[in-house]
Amino acid sequence: MQDLQTEHKGQILAVKDLPTLPIVLDEISKLLEDENASPEQVAKIISRDQVLSAKVLKMVNSPIYGFPRRINTIQHAIVLLGLNVIRGLIISTSVFEIMTKSMIGLWEHSVGCAIACKILAKEIGFKEPEEFAVTGLLHDIGKVVISIQLPEIKNNIESEVETHDLTFFDAEKQQMGFAHDRVNAWLADHWNLPLTTREGIAYHHRPGSAQYYPDYAYVVHIGDFLARLMEVGSGGDDHLPYLKPEALNHFGLEFKNLENILDSYSEELLEVSGLSPTLDE
Amino acid sequence: MQKIPLSYAKPAMVLAKPVTRNDGTVLIGQDTELSNSIINRLERMDINEIVVQGEPVELDNDSAGGSFGKRLQRIDHLFRKHESDEWMQQLKQFLTEYFKSRTL
Repeated sequence: MQDLQTEHKGQILAVKDLPTLPIVLDEISKLLEDENASPEQVAKIISRDQVLSAKVLKMVNSPIYGFPRRINTIQHAIVLLGLNVIRGLIISTSVFEIMTKSMIGLWEHSVGCAIACKILAKEIGFKEPEEFAVTGLLHDIGKVVISIQLPEIKNNIESEVETHDLTFFDAEKQQMGFAHDRVNAWLADHWNLPLTTREGIAYHHRPGSAQYYPDYAYVVHIGDFLARLMEVGSGGDDHLPYLKPEALNHFGLEFKNLENILDSYSEELLEVSGLSPTLDE
Repeated sequence: MQKIPLSYAKPAMVLAKPVTRNDGTVLIGQDTELSNSIINRLERMDINEIVVQGEPVELDNDSAGGSFGKRLQRIDHLFRKHESDEWMQQLKQFLTEYFKSRTL
């Protein structure tokens, strides 16, 4: 089993087949390491790619972030949202774009989770709800990459879900020996995602294991539950995941706090239909 | 609240959100009670959808968040793996009450 797991990991991370991320991401990553880099410099790099710029502006102006006024420039977007968020947006739209047609349900589920994470983060009182939102947007990115790199296994997973009423997560484990949460961790390392996002996406199924930023893992854990409760898109099956009691306890939330959260959530979901990762609509 | 195609609008429904132009200008305010003349006006202005209070219309393909009635229909199915778990059953009970309270 161990060998099979290693083999699958190799296939998943086979870089030549990994979705190509826009070249500007490399340049941005380099700039991120440079303490003196300014938002102007980064904005200049992104703005060179007009299609990418348009996509970024479309996402930052979407209900995921819900800014009251339109954001018209990349530089303004970076100042408002921060570089990590912009980088996460570029990664998620780039990866999902390849799979738009066959995985539109997963994209919608990811957007639904992103909005739930933002609302939770605001309700709990975190200062950067956008960071939580982009983590929610990326929380199932491993599923997309599995379906690109291991299409046959993905079909097996889907048929196990269908025929045996398994959760997608359990079917992944059965077919690969690991699930998308593990793939998320590899991808986070591969793409140098910030540790907050890494912990959020790698531990959203077992948030108690997050070592450094459990807040992110717990928010995504609850956000995923809420997106599935409202059946926004599809996470691959129609089961509600187990909502760990300690997730609510971690933030001092009680059932009654979910009322406000669900009120805001359902209101925002009214606005979100039809948001695609590409520009054509 | 529910988002409905304008063709389903009927007098006495109440707007849960203002009707706005694309640039954000408010055409008709929130909490306005619809009348035939308002509905006609909206038709002339090419408005396709409005958001009204409660859930007055049964739509086939309700947008996910839009329908708490649909959530009530789905909740048993969604919780089917957790029937013997006391905590999840408490949560289900709470959510059922919540969805009911929002469909009134």
